[in-house]
Amino acid sequence: MELSRAKAGPPQDRGVALEGIRVLEVAGTFGAYAGRLFAGLGADVVLVEPPCGATARTAGPFVGDAPAPENSLTFAYLHAGKRSVTLDLENPEGQQVFRRLAAAMDVIIEGEPAGVMASRHLGYEDLSAAHPSLVYTSITPFGQTGPCVGYQATDLVLLALGGLLYLGGYPDSEPVRVYGDQAILAADQYAAVGTMLSILGAEANGRGRHVDVAAQECVAMAIENAAQYFELEGHVRRRVPPRPEAGRGVYECRDGYIHMMAVPRGVGAARYWQPMVQMLIDGGSEGAEELLKPQWLTAEWTATEEAKAAFDEVFMPFAMRHTKAQLYEAAQEYHFPLCPLSTPADLLQSPQLKHRDYFIDVPHPASGRSLKMPGAPFKLDATPWRVQRPAPMLGEHNREIYPPFGFSLDEVEDLAAKGVI
Amino acid sequence: MVLSQHAVDDPNLPLRGVRVADFGWIGVGSYTTKLLADHGAEVTKIETSTYLDSLRNAAPFKDGIKGINRSGYFAERNANKRSLTLNLKHPSARSLALRLIAGSDVVANNFTPGTMERLGLGYEDVCQVRPDIIYISMSMHGSDGPESRQSGYGLTVAAASALYYLSGTPGREPSGSGTNYPDHIPSPCHAAFAVLAALRHRSRTGRGQRIDLAETESTIALIGPAVLDFTVNGCVQIRSGNKVKGAAPSGVYPCLGEDRWIAITIVDDESWRALLDELGSPEALTSAAFASSVSRQDHEDELNRLIASRTRGRDAYDLMERLQARGVAAGVVQTAEDLIVRDCQLKHRNHWIWLDHPEMGRSIYSAQPIRLGPRPQETLRKPAPLLGQHTREVCADLLGLGESEVDQLINDGVLI
Repeated sequence: MELSRAKAGPPQDRGVALEGIRVLEVAGTFGAYAGRLFAGLGADVVLVEPPCGATARTAGPFVGDAPAPENSLTFAYLHAGKRSVTLDLENPEGQQVFRRLAAAMDVIIEGEPAGVMASRHLGYEDLSAAHPSLVYTSITPFGQTGPCVGYQATDLVLLALGGLLYLGGYPDSEPVRVYGDQAILAADQYAAVGTMLSILGAEANGRGRHVDVAAQECVAMAIENAAQYFELEGHVRRRVPPRPEAGRGVYECRDGYIHMMAVPRGVGAARYWQPMVQMLIDGGSEGAEELLKPQWLTAEWTATEEAKAAFDEVFMPFAMRHTKAQLYEAAQEYHFPLCPLSTPADLLQSPQLKHRDYFIDVPHPASGRSLKMPGAPFKLDATPWRVQRPAPMLGEHNREIYPPFGFSLDEVEDLAAKGVI
Repeated sequence: MVLSQHAVDDPNLPLRGVRVADFGWIGVGSYTTKLLADHGAEVTKIETSTYLDSLRNAAPFKDGIKGINRSGYFAERNANKRSLTLNLKHPSARSLALRLIAGSDVVANNFTPGTMERLGLGYEDVCQVRPDIIYISMSMHGSDGPESRQSGYGLTVAAASALYYLSGTPGREPSGSGTNYPDHIPSPCHAAFAVLAALRHRSRTGRGQRIDLAETESTIALIGPAVLDFTVNGCVQIRSGNKVKGAAPSGVYPCLGEDRWIAITIVDDESWRALLDELGSPEALTSAAFASSVSRQDHEDELNRLIASRTRGRDAYDLMERLQARGVAAGVVQTAEDLIVRDCQLKHRNHWIWLDHPEMGRSIYSAQPIRLGPRPQETLRKPAPLLGQHTREVCADLLGLGESEVDQLINDGVLI
């Protein structure tokens, strides 16, 4: 063994992980969060918007609740750190311009319906022939080929067809979606991974790839163990009640809700029942000793309506006397998993997130304000996440980006006058 | 599609040659290294029979019979890896772990912060034997801060991140995603992206680094606009069920059969008229009150009741196909059974792969939802390992131990 051979301690460089990587992102439903991950680690991400602006500019919420292209907070968040050019990809001259830009790029991320980029002669085959190291990532609802490739889709429809929607909500009503365009975001996250994998290959051997991401299939990765339940046990998993058994699920408390997982089964949970009951006993809850009887350690009992009601009778008075923060603190003291259902407002008060300097302030030139938003989604010691610039104004960088590609400022003006950019 | 258990690695796999010492278990850790393994990384899962990865004991099991090598939950997250049993609490284990790490590019763990340090396998320790290591730790709250020692599950991560609170029907308790969602997509994808970026940095500079992923932080990153609505406008968003701003109606409607539903989103007047046509243009729905998107949004609850009364007798798949033919965004709310048995698009993409597992037999795995063309690789090559299945193989390949040394270490309770 050569354990003593090496000496050096942890490296201290503050480098840029994706330095020198140039990404062209075609603005659309898909791709924004993928581009955001690249920008955060230092790639140069250029957003290609139609002259009328990306549709994300019309997505709320808005600064001061006032809809305007430069006021969208969704846009401000997803596109922070990027530059923007305008370009009409429907226009043949615009397509020529795109080709010239693409020739100098390492990565293209696009989410146009399958076949649309090819119909503009801007598809992977069109561009890779002269640029074999190009990584070209296409994100669509269903992939580039297949029987459903022409289907219309929204986030809700993708959650439905991908199988996650069926697992969400309440057993006594229709399935209910998880918040916040998670199908689209799932596709973007996998697209970022696929793009990064392909960059490693392209930088090693000069061969690029066409990365084909299907949002429906991405959603299917989120169904947990439901596929295996069906295949191995013939059981079709369904949505479960907010409190599937005593000690597990969402409980109301004085100022909101908490989630608790102190049940005698599931992943490693057996050891949590006792400390939870101890907390109730120490807190003077009437009848808490009853919960120490052995039957409470069997799922056969805790999943019954009778058990749930008996548990609620002891637990709810205790919960309603305490805030979610107090319950959280107590659970940490007694060592069992209980967590507040934080609201967005709570996140800003979290001592943990404060300690981690999670939220960052990004200027918003259009309003002169500063926008506080989530910062690094992961911490890399040597190559930290940075937001180099606010989200761009529409076409803000036309005059900066086009000239190095051989367009004089006069030509840029001319293209603008013709509505190409 | 059935692949042989010993399919040859495709030279096109982008992570071929990357070695991962995987101390991950249960959720996020195992899924992250699976993503790397599927794309060619050589992942050694370090586990021990003295304190099992609890997913080995988690349902579902092959034929419903419990067994540490029979869990489908475990299998799904650990295919393509080799299993080395190493009892890290044994005093002789650490030097073996460090020897494995010395030959690795990546070390991954998702223990409660402080655990790896207590085992003598913290980042500083590891740098002594492998200065350019990429060392990723994944935990609920990150490695420092007042709550860092609090452990949790995907559900608690979603709760701490406000994703849970924001999901559900207004007026009812929050319903979340119904799963441990952060463990399945947000955290592993962010973690894998960070590792890949660090690999690139290393190949350019020769330097490794430490990556600290807090599951809460990668999950909150997915609800940025809700955070901004509060920090900028002081607005705390509330649950809105299946409603979507700007689309009306947007909902989930009952169909023929037990617990059968269809999701429909109407994004413009044209698709609204197409929906009306398909539903037979009932008078109640063609009324002027629903003519514009704004009026439909204003009367969405009433509208949804009326639509439900027209979809209730329809076959979900037939209705979806007819609506799609009219250009309406509609999708059956599919069950896992539907995804496996019925969905022709997932079939077309070969999403489900059946591998021959030594104890479970032919069993199901899901392929990564990305195809790296133009010639996509076979990403699923080996089924999940039995506990310790590759202990001898790894000891010979990566640790340079002879048979008798291995026997001794097993007898001593080290390689167990």
